[in-house]
Amino acid sequence: MLSNKLLKPGLYSVGSSDGAGPTARLMGGRCRCGYVFFPMQTYGCERCGSHGDALTPCELSAHGTLLAEATVHLHADKNRPAPFTIVKVALDDGPVIRTLLADGSAPVAPGQRVAGTLAAVGQTESGETVLDLRFSVAS
Amino acid sequence: MTRSLNELRPVYVVGIGWHRYQNPSETPYVELGLTAIRAALADARIEWPAVESTYVATALLGMASGRPMLRHLGATGAPLMHVENASASGSTAFRHACIEVASGISDVALAIGVDKRNPVRRPDTGLGNLAEDAIVPFTHFALLTNEYAVRHNASTDDIALVAVKNHRNGAKNPNAQRQQERTLDEVLGGKRVSGSLTSLQCTPIGEGAAAVIVASEDGIRRLGIDAGRAIRTTASVGRSERVYPPGAGFDAALTQETADLALAQAKLAPKDLDIIELHDAFTVEELHYIESIGLCPEGHGVRMLKDGALDIGGQCAINPSGGLIAMGHPIGPTGIGQIGEIVMQLRGEAGPRQHGGARIGLAHMVGVGAVCYVHILQR
Repeated sequence: MLSNKLLKPGLYSVGSSDGAGPTARLMGGRCRCGYVFFPMQTYGCERCGSHGDALTPCELSAHGTLLAEATVHLHADKNRPAPFTIVKVALDDGPVIRTLLADGSAPVAPGQRVAGTLAAVGQTESGETVLDLRFSVAS
Repeated sequence: MTRSLNELRPVYVVGIGWHRYQNPSETPYVELGLTAIRAALADARIEWPAVESTYVATALLGMASGRPMLRHLGATGAPLMHVENASASGSTAFRHACIEVASGISDVALAIGVDKRNPVRRPDTGLGNLAEDAIVPFTHFALLTNEYAVRHNASTDDIALVAVKNHRNGAKNPNAQRQQERTLDEVLGGKRVSGSLTSLQCTPIGEGAAAVIVASEDGIRRLGIDAGRAIRTTASVGRSERVYPPGAGFDAALTQETADLALAQAKLAPKDLDIIELHDAFTVEELHYIESIGLCPEGHGVRMLKDGALDIGGQCAINPSGGLIAMGHPIGPTGIGQIGEIVMQLRGEAGPRQHGGARIGLAHMVGVGAVCYVHILQR
């Protein structure tokens, strides 16, 4: 794992490893009022307005249920060459997130169980593998 | 104690005008805006010095674009302000022009929306995100299309029928960016954009201008405006997104609460509406919003669409202008253009796209953020 580097280390961390690669833990937050959100922030709670110490980090499972998917055929940003697929996932821990489906994942449909893993998306100049969160069908 | 718009003194739309919505061109925004304002002044049969206050709706032109345009009408020294509220910029400008007149601060106010297509710059909140750079608006609505189709067992071909209707309406609108009827095969066979959305199911990128002049009864009398062509604004509501239950679509939930408040303000029920101009930037939105406004239960929108109930001449004409899909969505002008279309319809001046006997119209816009604005106009 020493040769791996997370693309967005403020948003997720490496959990235990399974056959498909390292699973992810999402770095969310919980308010004193009970509201769970992603990503972690201390600006203030969207539900009740509490801020600062009322908001504490809370690791979220990357397991959830697919709400929707869309394969993007046209995308102006050349850093994201189409096609790619976006998934909307209701995490088991509460928040709804949207991100990319893993390249080579089996097709997904609403209602299906999905899980986030950390997938290799490139290399740094010093040869480290860059990992980013991708969802695929839960094993 | 607070009061809603229709508890203040009555406010009427007395002048409407456009510069046609069109593909991006070399035409300066100043010319687009002046064309719409002069058309609205001519429609009201008043002169520019009668306008006591101006609200300039624009999202993409840059800072302080209003005065370099308005000075060419003769610099009267009247106040002006700029309104940026994403897609709802024009609706928001209209609301505040109405509030200014209804409150008694002015007798005559102008809302002018003008925009040209420029790169959209979103604010940096300092918070990270997983892949927002990969999720542009058409993908947000492609996801909603997938959700709607699965939840209500609707076919994506049926959802695309919204575009067939709105292109048909736009073909009769000389101010529309797209003025061509399209068959379902043409709509489905177009360039694939995201999910099941094809390019003719998405609003085009464009430019243009729309202007609306509002006046009090004192202003109408003093200026000799034809009261028979004045259309009253009977409700104005603006809202922003709250926290909804997990999995609930915020676009539909926000529209529902905003439309409910507007209908209550005007003391009307959804069945009373003859015309709705709504934010159909993408086909699925029209179904979501007619259901949220209360025309039919959730999931029944496709049936109304296929029955022709949403056509001009049907139970309630939805987007007789062609909507954002056909008339276009130049951002700043869009919400003001909706008001102009409803006024034209309620006056009975909409020509080949006239919805017979129209007396009550509702205008709806959402903007990223999200915000939602609803106005009701009555003859």
